[in-house]
Amino acid sequence: MVFLTLSCWIRSRGPDRYWKVQEILKHARHFRGRKNRCYSLAVRAVRRAFVYATKARKQKKRNMRTLWITRIAAASREHGMKYPVLMHNLTKTSVQLNRRVISDLAITEPRSFLSLAKLAQARQQEGFTAALGDGKEPPGVFSRVVLLQ
Amino acid sequence: MSSFSRSAQQWATFARSWFLIDARMQPPGKIASMCSVRLQGKHKPIYHALSDCGDHVVVINSKQIAFSGNKWEQKVYSSHTGYPGGFKQVTAAQLHHKDPKAIVRLAVYGMLPKNLHRRTMMQRLHIFPDDELPEDIRANLTEELPQPREVPRKLSEYTQEEIDAFPWLWTP
Repeated sequence: MVFLTLSCWIRSRGPDRYWKVQEILKHARHFRGRKNRCYSLAVRAVRRAFVYATKARKQKKRNMRTLWITRIAAASREHGMKYPVLMHNLTKTSVQLNRRVISDLAITEPRSFLSLAKLAQARQQEGFTAALGDGKEPPGVFSRVVLLQ
Repeated sequence: MSSFSRSAQQWATFARSWFLIDARMQPPGKIASMCSVRLQGKHKPIYHALSDCGDHVVVINSKQIAFSGNKWEQKVYSSHTGYPGGFKQVTAAQLHHKDPKAIVRLAVYGMLPKNLHRRTMMQRLHIFPDDELPEDIRANLTEELPQPREVPRKLSEYTQEEIDAFPWLWTP
């Protein structure tokens, strides 16, 4: 095994505290104001920045999903469908594409997306006809279903 | 695929569509929601909040908008001048009388996201009280959007056949 730590200690100039400060300032160099050069201000700002970064790792997933949903909604509106209708009917037809892939299709392959939209539309019509049944009511019941057909 | 390729992505086309909306006898909120979607660019699959992909919207006949219910008298627009005692409140009817563009503009302004892009997006909204457009704006128009509400007709605008065909509950 090669131990590099000892040789680094020997090569490094300056006291321990200098290196400790540099460790913090390394992360604060792009900050605004005195935060990027004064240790006592920087240490607080860096700590806060790391907290934000930790939280943002979760928020990023959430934000990307909302962006995909916005894009799919825009693309499905172009074909005269609403977003919930599209997604519901795609799951009903067991199309196992996630929102990221569908939004990619909407951008880069509009015709593939159009076929998905047509599939969802066909499934929707099937669902409607299934819900309406054969158009016959049970005996003694009169409802709107008869009038619709 | 776009999500995981690191190559340069050039989706924006540097062209902006110009939509025309006729606000005659339309509810201002519905007009405003149509406007706000297109001003933000949320009708495009390439939408991103920072990519500035919104389009222009031209609203004509903003003088002829139609509030439902008693909103003309009861809806209040409040503002403050900043001076002591400078709290102003006007009803929708008063505001519309003073400036026929204000109600649509305020409705759209309230529906846009509250960030630094809001003023930029508002600059792409062109409201005209009548149906006369300047020639430079008329030349840009690309698409007319359908009205959200069917314009009701007066009795005098119905033909005699339609009136005769209307089902009567009793014979007057």
